[in-house]
Amino acid sequence: MKYALKRILMLVLTMVIVSFLTFLAFELISGDPAEAKLGTEATPERLAALRHEMGLDRPFPVRYVSWLAGFVSGDLGTSYNYDMPVWELIAPKLEVTLCLCLLSFVLITAVSIPLAIWSYRWTGTAFDAVRTAFNQLCMAVPPFFTGILMSYFFGIVMRLFIPGDFPDLRTDFGEAVTHLFFAAICLGIPRAAMTVRMMRSTVIGEMQKAYVRTAISRGNDRRGVLTRHVLKNSLTSAVTFLGQTMAELIGGSVVVEQVFGIPGLGRLLVYSISNRDYPVVETLVVILAFWVVLAGTLADLINQRIDPRLRLGGAV
Amino acid sequence: MKKKILAVILVLGMLMALLAACGRKGGETPPAVKERTTANEITIGIAQDLDSLDPHLAVAAGTKEVMFNVFEGLVKPTSDGNLVPAVASNVSVEDGGLTYVFTLRQGVKFHNGKTVEMQDVLYSVRRCAGLLEDGAEPLVPALAVIADIQGEGDTLTITLSEPNLEFLAYMTLAILPADYDQQATAPVGTGPFKFVSRAAQDNVVLERFDDYWGTPAKLQKVTFKIIEDESGLVRGLQSGALDLVSHMTYTQISQLDKNDFHVEEGSMNLVQALYLNNSVKPFDDVRVRQALCYAIDKQGIIDMAFDGYGIPLGTSMFPSFGKYYDDSLTDYYPHDVAKAKELLAQAGYPNGFEMTITVPSNYQPHVDTAQVIVEQLKETGITATIIPVEWDTWLSDVYGKSEFQSTITGLTSDNMTARKLLERFNTQAGNNFTKYNNPKYDELFAQAVAATDDAAQTAIYRQMERHLTENAANVYIQDMADLVAVRNGVKGLTFYPLYVLDVSTLYWDK
Repeated sequence: MKYALKRILMLVLTMVIVSFLTFLAFELISGDPAEAKLGTEATPERLAALRHEMGLDRPFPVRYVSWLAGFVSGDLGTSYNYDMPVWELIAPKLEVTLCLCLLSFVLITAVSIPLAIWSYRWTGTAFDAVRTAFNQLCMAVPPFFTGILMSYFFGIVMRLFIPGDFPDLRTDFGEAVTHLFFAAICLGIPRAAMTVRMMRSTVIGEMQKAYVRTAISRGNDRRGVLTRHVLKNSLTSAVTFLGQTMAELIGGSVVVEQVFGIPGLGRLLVYSISNRDYPVVETLVVILAFWVVLAGTLADLINQRIDPRLRLGGAV
Repeated sequence: MKKKILAVILVLGMLMALLAACGRKGGETPPAVKERTTANEITIGIAQDLDSLDPHLAVAAGTKEVMFNVFEGLVKPTSDGNLVPAVASNVSVEDGGLTYVFTLRQGVKFHNGKTVEMQDVLYSVRRCAGLLEDGAEPLVPALAVIADIQGEGDTLTITLSEPNLEFLAYMTLAILPADYDQQATAPVGTGPFKFVSRAAQDNVVLERFDDYWGTPAKLQKVTFKIIEDESGLVRGLQSGALDLVSHMTYTQISQLDKNDFHVEEGSMNLVQALYLNNSVKPFDDVRVRQALCYAIDKQGIIDMAFDGYGIPLGTSMFPSFGKYYDDSLTDYYPHDVAKAKELLAQAGYPNGFEMTITVPSNYQPHVDTAQVIVEQLKETGITATIIPVEWDTWLSDVYGKSEFQSTITGLTSDNMTARKLLERFNTQAGNNFTKYNNPKYDELFAQAVAATDDAAQTAIYRQMERHLTENAANVYIQDMADLVAVRNGVKGLTFYPLYVLDVSTLYWDK
């Protein structure tokens, strides 16, 4: 209970700090929403009038507090660029990005853990070098490049999905998920390769520990020890790492969304930043902060289930 | 046990891939391109999202390009650069350009079904002129010249405070319903297409307006798909998701299959130049500016960065402006490194100098141009450094505050007046970001505005262009080529001297 309270408090604090820093960053960089809106037709008079209308002529702390008050009371404001309520604007994009990230996360988890164990078996063989090289390659190739290759091969040649024509997630769920599936693979490859590498070295480390030697000397075979003891002991670091992965996927989605033409949060965020659309950016940043903290918390909770030593205050 | 789990997971993964593979067409041969529901639709790829849908508040050229199909003014431009009556059925100019009398066309309908009435026209003009409430700034600065607007019956009389021959070009401003406040999210106009929906960062859908007063559009539905990624646009065309994309680069075009697409070439109708801040050293010295003009080889830029596509320019005017354009200025400064060095020596920079070029990094053509220029300037001993900035920073620092040394951009005109292109170099102009300051030019501009005879006015504008060239106000480069990839079968693409895409003339021809 105490732990949950602490976590929630930390979550709220993180979100407040992040939103404040975002506001501050906007204050420091040049350009404001009024300038972005008027573009090359700005005159000093029109700028002044629009700034007044948007409330930008108020001092920085006043603006921040009024935004915060609105946010807390559930009023996320109106997008300067789209003239529509921020939530209405964000909700459909959030669905798409969540779908993409979850799909990618499931793929990473499903692929990398078996692959790590499998690759451990090959340690020391000639094939190991090939495997290592391939793993390095997967980690190094940037998603935008694999994205271009994949959408060319699976989209243009194989025609499994139509690049540039992302269907509506709500009406065309199947097709949309197919489209997202390839984007998710592309998003997940580097992270999956990292997970394999991390997991593999953890397993190797565990295998050299004394308890493994003892277990083997008591007549267990290596495979049995691996699956029964070593895997369980390696799992906590994997969970922590996957928690970070979940947090990072949403960052990586920005690039992948661009390449696959998926209208998600990432593209909206980039566009809103360059248009200085504060209300949208603020809300997005808070959502992202929430996501990151949530991923960490979930990883912690799962780890406590796996490893009783990590439980705080509870019975050991 | 664990092995089984592993196997199950692997099988699941494969199954997902298989499902995804079969999801589309259940084992049939995949279609060559995306199947169209009817031949009455077209999907057009655009590289950026729209800004405000309210035509009076929209600023981005890309927005006007799309919404040109939705809105109309009292008059509207044609593809050959003339103005024809639209919401008005007749226009007469009286008193040498002091009074403009419009007769409203009967029975013009808004997309919401209402008929256009005098109050709507009055509202629209007043809104743009800042006359709806006291002390409001005009949305269109040139409309500050309006002294009086009178609407009686179906006759609208606009009296100006001084004669102005170009006023009519500003009457292309969109006529909107007076009592409608959803313009920014669900715009209503009188054009051949009506707005249907918009999904941020995704698409804008237009549909034919069947009660249109003029020639009806040929297509039933037009979808503008927003794809910012350069290669994404190409793949969209290849996959069949898109049928037409404007403003492509030669590299993009070369990836397309000739059996599926053809390319139509127009021009962007903009003045791409290395714009110089005339108020900072060393560009306050005309000799230095001239030296730059000699040092930079515009044909070289066009060949290097644009594969030879583009029309070299020598002043702030492009060819589609017809009578205003003076071709003899294009080669006023031939590429001549020796001459450039000589001028630099005279100006006190025998060993060259260092300069910066601020470039909006989201416009790849300008970035490419900057890179070629940097190389070209080395020959003359000038060391140029590129400062890439974000578009909004560019607007604020370069365009707004003139905090720059030189920059590369393309300036367009949203109406057919030479004034729009030339006014900004006048000392008084609010958008004179190059800080060009020359009393002679200001005097010419005042004369041009006050002229009551079209031929005389044109002559003065041409003098102003020559003035800009002779004084090397900026290093003019080119009017960039507009390469449009069009799917075979799509016909009727028309180029305008403005930055617009008229979809009402497009049709499928099998």
